[in-house]
Amino acid sequence: MTKKRPLGFANPWVVLGFEVICVLVYELLQKRGASETANLSPIWSWTGITALVSPLVWLAMLLMIFSLLSWLYVLRYIPLSIAFPLSRVVDVLVPLSCWVILGENISARRWCGITLVIIGLMLTAKPVARLEEKL
Amino acid sequence: MRWLVVVLIPIALIAFVTGQLFLKHAMESSAVKGFRDAQVISFLSYGVLSMTVHFFLMLGLLAHLDLSYVYPFQGLSVIMISLAAAVMLRERLNLRLTFGSLLISAGIVLVSMS
Repeated sequence: MTKKRPLGFANPWVVLGFEVICVLVYELLQKRGASETANLSPIWSWTGITALVSPLVWLAMLLMIFSLLSWLYVLRYIPLSIAFPLSRVVDVLVPLSCWVILGENISARRWCGITLVIIGLMLTAKPVARLEEKL
Repeated sequence: MRWLVVVLIPIALIAFVTGQLFLKHAMESSAVKGFRDAQVISFLSYGVLSMTVHFFLMLGLLAHLDLSYVYPFQGLSVIMISLAAAVMLRERLNLRLTFGSLLISAGIVLVSMS
């Protein structure tokens, strides 16, 4: 299960963190870019094509490519049943960033969900810490 | 059109889970066989194909339904992928990991429903 892993920035756990940050930033950029261009054309904006006017959307696409490549790299080293649940930390980070950066509201139900995800992540990450100690 | 939604959401989910399994299998084999190996290339292609099917099914669903209706189902992918990886890829899955995935799935469903 555990192959020899590269160190430093090539370490798969570091790359997994990078993947999560890429996804988080591109989701936020996409939202900003799409909202900015929503008024350009009432009909075409529904296809998403008008969003291409925004440089933020192009940056989002670049980050999407980075996130895909880093995900493939992560899969090479980390078991899917650990890497995938951990990568979903982004589902907590997106609403939290929307709250902090975009000033959106978080309902009580959403806070409950965020708490559940965090407990789940801690449970999933614990064996990882032990796994790494052995190496 | 209700029946179409009931059919398409599970298909989209299964396509996503299958895609991840293929990609994982391809990347793991590539560590041993390299990227020019015919098997690695075919697994990568199946993975990309499944993910593409998922992508377009999701676009189709989102065109007709609210994101807050579609996205909670996506949360289920966490527990589905963990179980599928244990069965198909023989990854070790203990009670803690299963429970962790289950909580993450439930949490995402709650977060995306509100």
